[in-house]
Amino acid sequence: MAEVEIVEKVLGNGLKIIAERNLDAKSAAIGFFVKTGSRDETQSESGISHFLEHMMFKGTEKRSALDITYELGNLAVKANAYTSDEATVYYGAVLPEYFSRYQELLSDMLKPALDPKEFDMEKKVILEEIALYKDRPSYCLFEKAFRSYFNGHPSGNSVLGSVESVSAITRDDMLNYYKRRYSPSNMVLIAAGNFDLDRFMHDAERLCGGWKSFETERKVEPYEGKEESLEFTKSDIQQAHIMILTGGPSQQDPHRYAFGVFSNIVGDVTGSRYYWALVNSGIAESADSEVDEKDGTGCFISYACCPPDNIDKVSGILNEILDSPLQFTDKDMERAKAKIATRMVLGGELPMGRMRALGHEWLAREKVHNLHSEVEAIMAVSRKDIESALSAYPLTKRSEYRLLPA
Amino acid sequence: MPETIKITTLSNGLTVIVEEARWAESASYALIVPSGLLFDPEQNIGASMIVAELTSRGAGGLSAQELSNALDSLGARHTVGCGLFYTTYRGSLLGDRLEDALAITASMATEADLPGPEIDGIKALLEQEINSMYDTPSRRVMHELSIRYYPGVFARPSLGDKEGIRQTSIDTIRKIYRNFYVPEKSILSISGKVSADSIIKKVEALFGGWKGSAPNYPIPGEFPPRDVFHVSYDSTQLQIAVAFPSAALEDEDYYSARVLNGVLSGGMFGRLFVEVREKRGLCYSVNSSCSANGYYGVHTAYAGTTTERAQETLDVMMEIFKTISGTITEEELERSKANIKASLVMSEESTQSRAISNATDWWWISRIRTLEEIKAKIEEVDLKMTDNYAQKLAATEPMVVTLGEKELKLK
Repeated sequence: MAEVEIVEKVLGNGLKIIAERNLDAKSAAIGFFVKTGSRDETQSESGISHFLEHMMFKGTEKRSALDITYELGNLAVKANAYTSDEATVYYGAVLPEYFSRYQELLSDMLKPALDPKEFDMEKKVILEEIALYKDRPSYCLFEKAFRSYFNGHPSGNSVLGSVESVSAITRDDMLNYYKRRYSPSNMVLIAAGNFDLDRFMHDAERLCGGWKSFETERKVEPYEGKEESLEFTKSDIQQAHIMILTGGPSQQDPHRYAFGVFSNIVGDVTGSRYYWALVNSGIAESADSEVDEKDGTGCFISYACCPPDNIDKVSGILNEILDSPLQFTDKDMERAKAKIATRMVLGGELPMGRMRALGHEWLAREKVHNLHSEVEAIMAVSRKDIESALSAYPLTKRSEYRLLPA
Repeated sequence: MPETIKITTLSNGLTVIVEEARWAESASYALIVPSGLLFDPEQNIGASMIVAELTSRGAGGLSAQELSNALDSLGARHTVGCGLFYTTYRGSLLGDRLEDALAITASMATEADLPGPEIDGIKALLEQEINSMYDTPSRRVMHELSIRYYPGVFARPSLGDKEGIRQTSIDTIRKIYRNFYVPEKSILSISGKVSADSIIKKVEALFGGWKGSAPNYPIPGEFPPRDVFHVSYDSTQLQIAVAFPSAALEDEDYYSARVLNGVLSGGMFGRLFVEVREKRGLCYSVNSSCSANGYYGVHTAYAGTTTERAQETLDVMMEIFKTISGTITEEELERSKANIKASLVMSEESTQSRAISNATDWWWISRIRTLEEIKAKIEEVDLKMTDNYAQKLAATEPMVVTLGEKELKLK
């Protein structure tokens, strides 16, 4: 693997900067990772983090919305942004010759004008996005299940919000949210790939050093989970969907490596216990699991999609596997570790992959992501580690949600 | 051809393409076999998909689980998929483990057991995939477009046909494996941290004994007349899908078509996005794409929008197609070209995309277009060429399919 150089720094206003340069790369990626998402919204603000993410593309003091659109095009940036319950991320990959101009543009975008006309126009786009997701069965189930499972805990907040909540958001609401969450001390700027390291650090100071810092606060409360069974319906669908939620490790929990290996053994898309019990035989179209590590809490998701007639059988098998979590051999465990490690290395070959890993690692744990030590941590997981992770999260308190044709 | 790419054809007809990428830790492979939906018996459309999946359910003395475990132990990310024209085995893993993964892939493609008891499970799986596609309006509308747009066997549904899958017998499956899993016309493309000379020797040992001649591929006949169709569906949004004929891979217009598509729908700056979403806020998702193979190319456009705003969305989209000729600016042209070139350079960073694009180039045009060649061709495209192409597009009637609660009118 190529030699990489890593530089990190904190500006006077608290903006953390991490740059990882790899001269073998053909492109470079930049990202601003803001530690804010739907979990940081009040009830009346539901959907505002995601709406604001859209507004970052809609003009600044210096640039109109179309100026931004065309400039991103002129610099041939593969640009995008996303919002989750935990974070809002603005990023793009460019060829090295356009890097500095993109850095300037992206930094400017983070100071949005929130023009009222653009605000009204973009609200329509968001309402269309909500309509789009309403037509996706798996999204419908996720949204309903999380809200119910988290029972008022902010981790159950919807990222998109509802038609009603988004319709009611005003420009002032958004400005207040921005002023409460977008402090430079609440974000990290990442660069990865092939770029001029000195110039990047210098420009970061020049472009972002003047941003005013203020206190931001995130309420972090653990959540113990709950036990319930709910059934929802949707018209015009042919497949049924089922989701089981249990407690899982948080972003900060040292059990997360072992739990990640466990999740791969149980529910990787192929070659897992769920796969062999459900998908290989055609009982379900898909069946997999995922650890959703959040700030201060977490959950373990099991998900399957199957014909409506099979739903009880699928539920029975998923629950049976969750009842016997330690039923795996050492070979099963070693395979899971090999799969995870390869995915990490492959993802790390692209500047965009490195940028994401560095950004999320910092937001979650204030550490600089090191690919080799992360791979080592996965490879070091033993059966004993998994046993101890499972005694912390015993999978006994489960909630089950189903979506069936109306 | 750059020194980093080596192409060898074995005596049985299998072409081996190896691209060395010294910067990489990974290696990726793609094995293309000439078994596709277009060869399926009329009453069993989807049979070749059963075959593809069944090859991974037992081969070379290993059971389904043993095969899967062997690949997983190598840390390989692997899939097998069957499309209209061919079946592809693909995988990525650390370069030093590639040979072992190739050995497993070779056994699936050349000496699969095709165990009968596995078939029912696979059929159930494929049927569910079709149901899920029907449950996702944005996918369903593209399916409805494609089965109406292409001629004859080229219009076969990409997930097969439920009844055809259900009726497929083990004999049909064995026949497909015998006739279409053959080395002639097959391509094994490798890219990444490998040594070409040693990997080619290994490939000869693994695939050298494989025998069989390739099938004759049909040539597409006349395309069906293009019209407007509506499919009723209970959904929040109305889906709009549009198709126009475009240039095939070796047509002189091919690169002009790509540049024009960038003007229409590159990144967030294309006219469709700017006019439909940015200026009017009519929808979240709107885009167009242009794809091509050795026979034909197609421009497709898609938008999903709430029912009451759908007619305006369609009107604006059609207006853009009709009026683009004569109005393209130098800035739009340069932006489109710069973005295509950037995408090309970035694709070089992924061994997976290199392995696939080398394989498909060889499949369709029996040579590999280097990135330099494609970049130079894009560079050559000027305003006049793009505009000539735009004129052709504007003069062509599109195929339009809408899916949702209300029928739309084409002005």
